[in-house]
Amino acid sequence: LGCFTARNLRRWNISTILLEKEDDVCKGITRANSAIVYAGYDNKPGSMKAEMTVRGNAGMERLCKALDVPFSRCGSLLVTYDKAAAARLERKLQNGIENGVPGLRLMSGAEAEAMEPMLKKGVQAALYAPSTGTVNPWQLGIAAYENAVHNGAEAMLNTLVSDIREAEEGFLVETNKDTFLCKMVFNCAGLCADQVQELLFSPSVRLHLDSAEYLVLDKHARKPECVIFHQAESCGKGITAIPCVEGNLLISGIRKPLETLFATTVKGLQELHLAAKALLPEVDLAQVIRSFGAVRPNPCMENGESLHDFCIENPAPGFYSLIGIKTPGLTCANELGLHLAQKAAAYLNANENPAFDPEHRTIADKDNEIVCQCEQITKAEIVEAIRRGAVTVDGVKRRAGSGMGRCQGSRCTYEIEKLLEEYGHGRV
Amino acid sequence: MEEFDILIIGGGAAGISAAKGAKGARVLLADRKAALGGVLLQCTHRGFGKNKSGVEYAVDLTDAFPQEISLALNTTVLSVSEDKTALLSGKDFGLREIRFSQLILATGCREIPMGALPIAGTRPKGVYTAGQMQELMNLHSFMPDGPVVILGSGDLGLIMARQLAEVGLSVTMVEKKPQCGGMAKNQRCLTEYPIRLICDDTIGEIHGYPHLTGCTTAKGVRIPCRTLLIAAGLRPERELIFGLGEPDWLHICGNCNMVHPMVEAVVNEGKQAGIAAYKNIRGSL
Repeated sequence: LGCFTARNLRRWNISTILLEKEDDVCKGITRANSAIVYAGYDNKPGSMKAEMTVRGNAGMERLCKALDVPFSRCGSLLVTYDKAAAARLERKLQNGIENGVPGLRLMSGAEAEAMEPMLKKGVQAALYAPSTGTVNPWQLGIAAYENAVHNGAEAMLNTLVSDIREAEEGFLVETNKDTFLCKMVFNCAGLCADQVQELLFSPSVRLHLDSAEYLVLDKHARKPECVIFHQAESCGKGITAIPCVEGNLLISGIRKPLETLFATTVKGLQELHLAAKALLPEVDLAQVIRSFGAVRPNPCMENGESLHDFCIENPAPGFYSLIGIKTPGLTCANELGLHLAQKAAAYLNANENPAFDPEHRTIADKDNEIVCQCEQITKAEIVEAIRRGAVTVDGVKRRAGSGMGRCQGSRCTYEIEKLLEEYGHGRV
Repeated sequence: MEEFDILIIGGGAAGISAAKGAKGARVLLADRKAALGGVLLQCTHRGFGKNKSGVEYAVDLTDAFPQEISLALNTTVLSVSEDKTALLSGKDFGLREIRFSQLILATGCREIPMGALPIAGTRPKGVYTAGQMQELMNLHSFMPDGPVVILGSGDLGLIMARQLAEVGLSVTMVEKKPQCGGMAKNQRCLTEYPIRLICDDTIGEIHGYPHLTGCTTAKGVRIPCRTLLIAAGLRPERELIFGLGEPDWLHICGNCNMVHPMVEAVVNEGKQAGIAAYKNIRGSL
């Protein structure tokens, strides 16, 4: 979100600096994400979420084209095996129609089973949403970051905000590196957004952290054509199966309160394996190549209730906090960034930036020296990833795609570390 | 397009032996590394042939290597098609498409990485596969931090346990089966060094971030460690021929056919594959 806010601020002549406490961008919520571009039938009609999701979804082709990031509009099926839950699908359909979601359609169980033969038989009803898609979340975020910098935004990494004070004309932001005087502050601190706001203003919502387990399967594993959401018998979502834009199948588990940041639990993995087999009996879990734990902010009001819409706090003129932008934050990232940038343009009375260039080019030039065997990533791509700011093997992975395959980097990590050393960064 | 009678993919024990078996044919042997020998080159321990090291064994194997065979080193085969063409990407020559009449797949196997196992916890630094550590230590002079935990007590796990114990690191092995999994000669390290072996258990969870601090077994034994080696098995590397079926021009040999505990079996299978491929083309020449 920070990356997209910075990118959109540069549509106007607004000097922008992006502060990030980590050594790279998109290392929090974005890094471990379900990668879904939601259709928008889940959200309450009239809410900011509903409106932005539908708009963000509709604009995703254009955004991904400009940022040179692959996007797949694979569609989705929300399936239920419970007759009683079928009424929920009907409600979601009505919601979706009201929100303006295109092409929504209720399906019989037989129709859904024919469409996705991997589904366990006995589907009672399904809601088909052709506009659902998938995108690589960190590719999108890093592209927005690079585009923001290309358009003149400054960025400081390894920079932790320690205090914010009001100044005569704006705010003084203290960090471990330097103090910045700025007219406006956009707090996009993700999992820490409530803490950052608290440095100056008391937030009206608090972030409780949820986690979910994920499994990544080999590209050769059999996978469904579209995203499959399982509407569980009780309220809330079941597991989700996502055919990722890169070709891997991603299976995401049920949300639960967090135990350890970005960690999976023994119980969670066991439950996810069972649930995956129950929904897709033919899924080959011997093809799992990685499991990981994701963290989601869950914004809660003082009475402890979860907030269902986006929360953009504006405690003082010029200060905006995005607190607890949970699902569908990825779908709406550019919309939210644009929304904030428009606020900034009005507040600062800024002129449009005629030189703004929305186009970005992803790493594409290959040479003939294959470093990552599994994904066939070449040395030239790795070196370009380092040139673009990767300082760790993980940073290279998220830019060049190395180490994402079936050996999970066990064969290329050494060579990439050597290239990182050679091109100016030490072993981190 | 360049044409060859036989394309051999993989220059380890199987590929080298296949090339010898196919002597007389126009053969191209491709390997992703800079030298022939495959995994043997990182095996400094003894036990190959008449108690040679893997490196020595590889030298002997390549000693009588047929001169007329074309080598494409530093080369990755990107794809193989059913029309009997292959696309090669080489550091020294760029992209190269070739046509072949027989294909010998000798790509060996790869290790199962931690990600493929149902191990919970964080995703810290300090986790390696056993063969990855063998390569790091023997080819790149890397020294891991102890204590070390090794998951899996098969031959590779035992070989690494011995090597790590030899340099004075504390080693604990965790084995899912009720008893140690490797060959008797490799099990000797368990009596010669103070290596702890926990059987009938596995690693359920790992701890620490950004660096590994320990792991907990499924039965709840907590083991502090700085390095975890995964020696949980090998998978034949056959993705290149995925979807090709079983055409008569395809010969699969060595560890990509099945994992062999002894190199002699790999050599023999490679040789047979070379002979079979040669017979196929001689028949049609």
